Amino acid sequence: MKKILHHWTTAVLPAAAIALAATVATAQEKPEALSIGVFTFTSGPAAAYGMPGKQAAELMIERINADGGVAGVPIEATYVDEAQGAEGVISEYRSMAEDQDNQVMIAALSSGNCLALAPLAEQLKMPTIAWNCDTHQLLRDSELKYTYRPNGNTLPEFTAFVAYLLERQPDVKRVAIINPDYSFGHDAADIVKTALATFAPDVEIVAELFPKLGASTYQTEISRLSSARPDAIFSNLWGADLENFVRQAGPRGIFQQSQVILALGETVLQRVDLPDGVIVGMLGDGYWLSPDAQSKPDTVAFAEAYHERYGEYPVFPSMKMANALVVMKAAVEKAVEDKNGEWPSRDEIVAALEGMTVETMTGETSLREDNDGIVDQVIGVTTASDSHEFKVIGDMVRYDGEAFMAPVGEEPVEWIKSLEPSFLDTLPAAGSYK
Amino acid sequence: MLQSLLPLLIDGLANAALIFFVAVGLTLVFSVLRILNVAHGSFYSIGAYGAATLGLWLVSAGANPWLSYPALLLSAVFVAALFGPAIERTLIRWTYGKGEAVQILVTFGLFLILEDLQRMVFGVQSLYQDTPMTLLGITQIGNVVYLNYQILLIVLAVLVLVGLRLLIKHTRMGRLLAAVVADREVSEAMGIDTDRMYMIAFSIGVFLAALGGALATPTTGVAPGLGAETMVLAFAVAAIGGLGQIEGAAIASVIVATAKVLAVYFVPALDSVAPYLVMLLVLMVRPQGLFGVAETRRV
Repeated sequence: MKKILHHWTTAVLPAAAIALAATVATAQEKPEALSIGVFTFTSGPAAAYGMPGKQAAELMIERINADGGVAGVPIEATYVDEAQGAEGVISEYRSMAEDQDNQVMIAALSSGNCLALAPLAEQLKMPTIAWNCDTHQLLRDSELKYTYRPNGNTLPEFTAFVAYLLERQPDVKRVAIINPDYSFGHDAADIVKTALATFAPDVEIVAELFPKLGASTYQTEISRLSSARPDAIFSNLWGADLENFVRQAGPRGIFQQSQVILALGETVLQRVDLPDGVIVGMLGDGYWLSPDAQSKPDTVAFAEAYHERYGEYPVFPSMKMANALVVMKAAVEKAVEDKNGEWPSRDEIVAALEGMTVETMTGETSLREDNDGIVDQVIGVTTASDSHEFKVIGDMVRYDGEAFMAPVGEEPVEWIKSLEPSFLDTLPAAGSYK
Repeated sequence: MLQSLLPLLIDGLANAALIFFVAVGLTLVFSVLRILNVAHGSFYSIGAYGAATLGLWLVSAGANPWLSYPALLLSAVFVAALFGPAIERTLIRWTYGKGEAVQILVTFGLFLILEDLQRMVFGVQSLYQDTPMTLLGITQIGNVVYLNYQILLIVLAVLVLVGLRLLIKHTRMGRLLAAVVADREVSEAMGIDTDRMYMIAFSIGVFLAALGGALATPTTGVAPGLGAETMVLAFAVAAIGGLGQIEGAAIASVIVATAKVLAVYFVPALDSVAPYLVMLLVLMVRPQGLFGVAETRRV
């Protein structure tokens, strides 16, 4: 027995320790590739939103690699389809995170998946950059160390749409809501109702509909909206749901009857001919035709390359994904610089992300102490274009991202109630972003 | 009063029409073959994909847009001719006389295969082909603008219901089918080719599902998952109306669609579950469905 113990203490354990130390040292050597996981929807109705994200990731990675990679290391991406459901997504994330070669996850699109992955990122100490993850619930009341969201979130985004509506139609009295039936849709409805109650207390919500995610027909909902005669209809339907709704609502006169607000409407402009004057926007500032985006030669070249390859210009999910990769590249390069050129560990990449401000392809993002990004919000109305066959966004406004962000630690929806109606007077006017 | 009820009525009937095409096919197949075909919804989505693809091709070829109407019918006929005999003669025939669990597992497997096949052939992006809908224009009833195409769907559903009744009651083939439903062994003894009758009934079922899918195309997007969504509603209709009851399927379609429409108008939070709440209610009172006949189980 003593002999066995002696053998363990003198030979096996030291050898194991050396082997482990070598592994750690190897992880910090410059790898052949920066391996990352990219989570998005590549099938099902949500693919209409997720595929532009994947296409942007492929093109961006190709362009970054052609330009020398990240600190000299090329990016190698593994794509995961979120349509398989939360259980499959969690399983794939876990197995990828357990592979030490993978250093960053760009995850995810669905708010539900993001909420499921965040605790896993903490447990597995995996740097996770939320490329979409719109729900304001993600970073609320939590002290996540490994999850960062360099995007906007539901609170500033949908409050901004209310501000834009009230500026264009200050006499709006009857509002209807049609959102998807899950947290994203219900959160947005709460925010819109709270913002309307705060800034325009005499507005009445005349219909509130939550068709199930992935519904193929909206004819009954359209009849209901039509019979309610609202002055304005707000919707944060997205992906194929949005395109379905717009195609079905158009012939039935909904756009003529009411001022429609399609919060994620930028994604369908190239595919559906919307009438003029529909309030459309995006989540954040990711409009490839915005003045800021067009002032950046890199973004213009990216948009042209995207169009050449995929037959469409990038939509805002494409730009969100591209911006997430810009942030990742900046973080890894900062971490390399902080280590005087040595390759960083996962923890060192996370440390680099703290408090970063990064110039993105469509503006700028600043990460707050709660890891949430401050991103401007761009909104406008559909208008004909001289240079494109499809409708573009005109009468644009670019709201400062910080204007609608609840301070760190405050309950976001409650915070809206603390604002005064006069707050709207401090905002830039519609059409001021040229 | 009528002004406010009219939108409910038209929405209910237009929704019921689309559900009816699928549900009546399901119930017809069950009444003849005694099989609950879980893959039935896939024929609805294949019909929809076929109609959308054919319609888009006609538009891109610059053909007369009114040809998009025969294209809807042609798509359903093609799907029925391609899949009906082939599937009945292979997989479905193998399950005759086997337990219900085996039949459900086999048809569920078939459903999964057909869903993946659609992804492989048509991709994962939604298809839109609304030419037939735009050709017919709109009608304003009260405050609400309706598509004339929605009203056409109601008329077509009534025609199919009447047509099926005429087929079964007043044609030779219908009588042969009725004989097979009544007693297969006696029918065989009388010289009826029951295998052929099974294949015909199954193919008519496939045709009705595919026709429902094709007719839905002008007002809906066609994407993966469409078949499953419709199938679940068709099951609810079959359960409420009673499996094997054609008129039962029609009335149950109206009940299911009206429940959904009422929920959208008055309790939106319940719109997804309303049809199933009605189904539960009916099954609690009449487990065999509203028009089904209770059978004595032979142990």
